[in-house]
Amino acid sequence: MIEAEDLRKTFGEVIAVDAVSLSAPDGQITGILGPNGAGKTTTMRMISTLVRPDRGRVRVDGHDAATEPSAVRRRLGVLPDARGLYPRLTARENVEYFGRLQGLDEATLRARVDRLIERLELAEVADRRVHGFSQGERAKVAIARALVHEPQNVLLDEPTNGLDVMSTRAMREVIRGLRDEGKAVVFCSHVMQEVSALCDTIIVVARGTVVAEGTPDALRAQAGTTSLEDAFVSIIGTEEGLVA
Amino acid sequence: MSVLQTMRVVARKELLDGIRDRRSVLSALLFPLFGPVLIAVMFSIILAEEADDGPIALPVVGPGNAVALIEHLESQGIEVVPAPEDPRAAVASGDENVVLEIHEDFEAEFRAGRPAPVSMYIDSSRREGRVPVRRVRKAVETYSAKVGTLRLLARGIDPQLARPIAVGDIDTATPQQKAANLLAMVPMFVMLAVFVGGMFMATDATAGERERKSLEPLLLTPTSRAALVLGKWAATTVFSTTGLCITLVGSSVAMGQIPLEEVGLDVDLGPGDMTWVLALLLPLAPMAAALQMLVASFAKSFREAQTYLSLLTMLPTLPGVFLTLEPLPPEGGASCVPVLGQQVLLLGVLRGDAIPLLPAVGSTAVVALLTIGCLWATSRLLGSEKTIFGE
Repeated sequence: MIEAEDLRKTFGEVIAVDAVSLSAPDGQITGILGPNGAGKTTTMRMISTLVRPDRGRVRVDGHDAATEPSAVRRRLGVLPDARGLYPRLTARENVEYFGRLQGLDEATLRARVDRLIERLELAEVADRRVHGFSQGERAKVAIARALVHEPQNVLLDEPTNGLDVMSTRAMREVIRGLRDEGKAVVFCSHVMQEVSALCDTIIVVARGTVVAEGTPDALRAQAGTTSLEDAFVSIIGTEEGLVA
Repeated sequence: MSVLQTMRVVARKELLDGIRDRRSVLSALLFPLFGPVLIAVMFSIILAEEADDGPIALPVVGPGNAVALIEHLESQGIEVVPAPEDPRAAVASGDENVVLEIHEDFEAEFRAGRPAPVSMYIDSSRREGRVPVRRVRKAVETYSAKVGTLRLLARGIDPQLARPIAVGDIDTATPQQKAANLLAMVPMFVMLAVFVGGMFMATDATAGERERKSLEPLLLTPTSRAALVLGKWAATTVFSTTGLCITLVGSSVAMGQIPLEEVGLDVDLGPGDMTWVLALLLPLAPMAAALQMLVASFAKSFREAQTYLSLLTMLPTLPGVFLTLEPLPPEGGASCVPVLGQQVLLLGVLRGDAIPLLPAVGSTAVVALLTIGCLWATSRLLGSEKTIFGE
């Protein structure tokens, strides 16, 4: 369960995020949709404790991000905007490193990593050095890294960015699987199809603030349109920065 | 998870990563050999020059003008050979080290009791010519002095009258102290190896994380920033310590191969001295690692960090250069300046002087404080929003 209340963050003169609130319950996929530069990534970073909000608070399973950042990080699995891996380590070593930093003991770690490699179909490349991996393989290693400590809450920043059709499908399967396990999943994207295909609740952000929120059906009804695409355009007020 | 556990996990990963990086390994293992090899080569050259007392060939222009002088030269192990066409050009081009010219009017002036003109063609910018030039000059001067003495005697004058003052050198330097001047460069190479040994590691662990964008996921783990920095620092220290040890061992092996006694030098470092050398130098490895990590943390990319660290590496070589020109006493404030202090104290050890305890402890304390300061600043810097996301 992720709760954010009235978040605000400015960088110098620029207001990146203003008055953003959201609630992502367990067993649901909550999508943050917005054009590029709407403040999606900054919101994610405030939830993941790396950026301190100027105002507002974040709670993850009841733990406050400002006062208990370690507890929050332990309960979060994050696929950040940056997928940086260690090129001289193998896929398995990359994931294991983060498992150890999460405090897993060696037996649990081995079992978890084996399971993730199987689930993400990484077996073939698992013991190869990451240097030279395809975008899809990198994304899979990064998601394995985010999930190795079996977090109750998962934050995904543009999870299908740069992936081909097959990898995108695989990634969507993983995301649905996480929801079915009862986890709270939040992901942000500027791809409308992505959001409409996966999300139970959609939060539409533009220019740093929430402009609409609800189920896909509710959003259509609110905008008085029959297609979700028209609904987004009407809500955001522009087609700029959205990919159909 | 405790700080110590995190440290161990991070250090283990960084070491594995470092060992797989050719640049890191080369800079820690191969570069430190550079100093010892250079020392061996330089000493052999010096030895070869100093030991040169075999016969030398001396081209002479107009040997017939001073038969007695030629005889004297030959008695001194100088073999007189015909001079080249153009003595000036032969010396300038390096074909000959020295050419002696005995002028036409030598005989006449000599007989008249006036200074008889003789010229030596030399190239003072050429190092290899120094020894033969010195020997020829000395031979001519002894002849001149001998003739002068005989002339005075022939006139019934005591030759001592022409020597109003007798200067005698009393050299208090022990052979070990003489050697120390030549050994002054050993500490410099050690410093260099310490800084180069951990350079790539320090860069990869800080600016490298930023460049490949792995810093954000790393900081998303529930670990303290300080523990992450300490782990990276420990791994970097392993590399810089390796560099240090290789240079030390290499230098002592190199010096063991050189017959220094032959030129009146004595390098005698017992186990006690070596313990001092290690005790003084070892704290520099963790300090260099911490300092390099801090500096590299300011850089956004690997290359930028490399530029900063290359400049930083110049720093520890400066005291070495300075000390060869202007030795400092260890009791002054100099020993509290990191790196400079270690070099001042080390030179003392190499000279065989007693170790002044207070400066030794003081210099180590300063190094320790600096290390802690750098680590603290690095962990502050690494966790800041600007460092994580700064473009």
